[in-house]
Amino acid sequence: MLKDFSLRINGRTYKVTAFEEEPLLWVIRERLRLTGTKFGCGMGICGACTVLLEGKAVRSCLLTVRDAVDKPIVTIEGVPSNHPLKRAWIEHQVPQCGYCQPGQLMEAYALLLENPRPTRQQIIERLSSHLCRCGTYGRILMAVEAASRGGKT
Amino acid sequence: MITRRELLRLGGFTLSVMLMPEGYKILKAGETPKGYAPNLWINLSRDNYLTVFVNKSEMGQGVYTGLPMLVAEELDFPWERVRVRPAPAGRPYVDPKMGIQLTGGSTSVKNMYEILRLAGASMREMLLSSASKKLNLPKEKLRAEGGYILTGERKYAYGEFSELARKEPLPSKPRLKEEREFIYIGKSPPRLDVPEKVEGKAVFGIDAFEEGMLYAVVERPPYFGAKPMKVETGEAKKVPGIVDVFTLSSGVAVCGESFWSCQKGRERLKVEWSESFVKGWEDKDFEKYFRQKLKERGEVVRVKGSPQSSFEKAPFKVEETYIQPYLYHATMEPMSCLAWVKKEECLVYAPTQSQTWVLETAKRISGLPESKIRVITTYLGGGFGRKANVEFVAEALEISKRLGKPVKLIYTREDDLKSGYFRPYSATLIRASADREGNINSLSFKIAVQPLLGGRASVEGVENIPYAIPNLHVERVDVELPVSFWFWRSVGSTHNAFSIERVIDRLAYEAKRDAVDIRLKLLKDNPVAYRVVQTAAEKAGWGSRPKRGEAMGIAYHFSFGSHACHVAEVSLDRKSGKVRVHRVVAVMDVGPLVVHPDLLVSQVESGVIMGLSMALKEEVRFKGGGVENTNFHTYPLLTMSEAPQIEVHILTSNRQMGGVGEPGLPPTAPAVANALLWGYGIKVNRLPMSPEYIKTLT
Ligand code: FES
Ligand code: FES
Repeated sequence: MLKDFSLRINGRTYKVTAFEEEPLLWVIRERLRLTGTKFGCGMGICGACTVLLEGKAVRSCLLTVRDAVDKPIVTIEGVPSNHPLKRAWIEHQVPQCGYCQPGQLMEAYALLLENPRPTRQQIIERLSSHLCRCGTYGRILMAVEAASRGGKT
Repeated sequence: MITRRELLRLGGFTLSVMLMPEGYKILKAGETPKGYAPNLWINLSRDNYLTVFVNKSEMGQGVYTGLPMLVAEELDFPWERVRVRPAPAGRPYVDPKMGIQLTGGSTSVKNMYEILRLAGASMREMLLSSASKKLNLPKEKLRAEGGYILTGERKYAYGEFSELARKEPLPSKPRLKEEREFIYIGKSPPRLDVPEKVEGKAVFGIDAFEEGMLYAVVERPPYFGAKPMKVETGEAKKVPGIVDVFTLSSGVAVCGESFWSCQKGRERLKVEWSESFVKGWEDKDFEKYFRQKLKERGEVVRVKGSPQSSFEKAPFKVEETYIQPYLYHATMEPMSCLAWVKKEECLVYAPTQSQTWVLETAKRISGLPESKIRVITTYLGGGFGRKANVEFVAEALEISKRLGKPVKLIYTREDDLKSGYFRPYSATLIRASADREGNINSLSFKIAVQPLLGGRASVEGVENIPYAIPNLHVERVDVELPVSFWFWRSVGSTHNAFSIERVIDRLAYEAKRDAVDIRLKLLKDNPVAYRVVQTAAEKAGWGSRPKRGEAMGIAYHFSFGSHACHVAEVSLDRKSGKVRVHRVVAVMDVGPLVVHPDLLVSQVESGVIMGLSMALKEEVRFKGGGVENTNFHTYPLLTMSEAPQIEVHILTSNRQMGGVGEPGLPPTAPAVANALLWGYGIKVNRLPMSPEYIKTLT
């Protein structure tokens, strides 16, 4: 039941042995040790495990490793440090415990790829599918708005 | 991750802070008296970096910023060159006021404020003395500023003197800065933990690895109070990668080479569980049981005046029973721990709020002495009290001991919810009365709840109520049930603030008095609290139409040394029963000064969101004596679209320093409930204010 797979993550190719139906999340996190992608619910509800697959935000806990073979994946580690979103996240001091933040940021990243100038309402709609127990919603919203204005706050 | 030995070998200049029977003391590295070890270390390296090894856990509250700031302040050191690392766990790293190493009770900065400033100031003096000798200039001619020794003509990085400075004697009374000299305190330097959290590089408990590590999951009983009786492991063991399956006291451990093997293995387990007192219990059974308990005689904690007769004679009275459910902490990082019990030593990576309890647990399970145990505190993906409990650490240790390998135990969300340690359920009977003018003249409070801190938490915020109510009765009935319970952010104040602040508004409503006036009257001898309520009313525009909602509600509460008052702007869709909170104005007085205003603001924002989540949505439900909620679809949290605009105002007053992490939560729920009373005449007497419940009241 264990098989070999090849994954393309952040521009690199990884060879990995996993169960065919193993969620992509656990392969990324535990087998490849890219632990920026978080486990929160395993049910597609919290968004902590969000990565980009072929440019779209997906919940890696709901996909199997097989679904992702040879498709480009971007994780939080693959977003450049000087990206406006990462800069805005620091500027607005968004994270508290920080655990939900990679997922939040990846969702925002996908949103800005699709729509570089989202309205406030569009941001809220999109990010409302992500949970943050520390209650950083207000700051996330400010950071996404700032990043969509090209990093100018 | 640093060990104690490595700490001693650090280059440059190291000071440590140590707790001794006569109080804390600053020491030079290596000069520790026999039988003692330092609590905390500060190192200035030759290349001019300051590293502070902090003995508190970073769970989002900002302690990795708030504590180093105090050292950097007195040392006068550039913020970009400050680093923070967790201190190793050990008896020596205890909090001087709590007697254990624990992060909780909103105490971190409060308790370490003085020690750390003195340490920074000592370091600075010693650098100045050594520079004076080396440069052959009188000390008075030198200044230490921004990480440099300034001679007037030239500047030298502190680091250049680090090796020399450590030879200087410790100053007996280093000069502390005056408030007007502060460069960090009262300002908001950026959090030191934020960059790595944004990069996805922060290591949480669940992110720990050791070579050759195995994984484990634990299958838990379907109802509280049960233990595994009979386990069929044969099928589970056939799953590729499964290493072992065995019973623990808390459930059945499934161990394997990958997390996914463990998950597949556990699906094939067959477990028979022992009986339990609560087996079969549903929500209504809990309610019945607690209401029954309220009828029993409890322990009277406080009596003042004659509450009974004043109540009977009063023209306005209210008698209510409030029901508040068990609450789940829902840390976004579920419980997780990596343990490795070897013959000679033991290693634990834990996202823990209590290093001391982890250490004790590790000693008990491994049988090793403290000197052979290494506890590494990772970042905590949320704590809220839950991660001060160490049952998950004990499980990881037990499993590793049995297998002789490093083991990472991961709770799935379902496991995490099932494991309990909830904010306890409570039933509160309140009787309160007001005189003809509408002034509250009696309050009698009786709560049935599982007792925390020997029952002290049950009456938290009531026993020490700041309102001047002449006739007071406070009583608690301790409930015993096998449902595990624990500290939840702001502890007893989570439920008691609701009860007290609700009943005050109920009386004001009956007596047709203004909710702010009635409170101010009760607080006229408490100027700090008075100002907090007054400011909240003012900032919110009390008395005028709400800016965004349809109704306004106010609530005030004192907890963990801080006064907090919130005003909520609320609207209700009567048809669906859906309550919306548009804006919350939160005012808090934390005492003499605010170390880091932005951390305070973010803690209050966080408290309001969590308080609102609890007010509107959260409730652990029961079926068959176990938790019915399984994941976030059945235990929903507040989302961004439901989050109000939050305005935080900070006040200071000349008194003892208060806490920051918890006091921002308790007033939110009653402020919302009170808005529903004034705006819609709805009398909420239980939480959460879910649409289903509100519909029964409209
Ligand atoms: S872990 Fe994937 S959405 Fe929660
Ligand atoms: S920052 Fe802690 S869960 Fe979002």
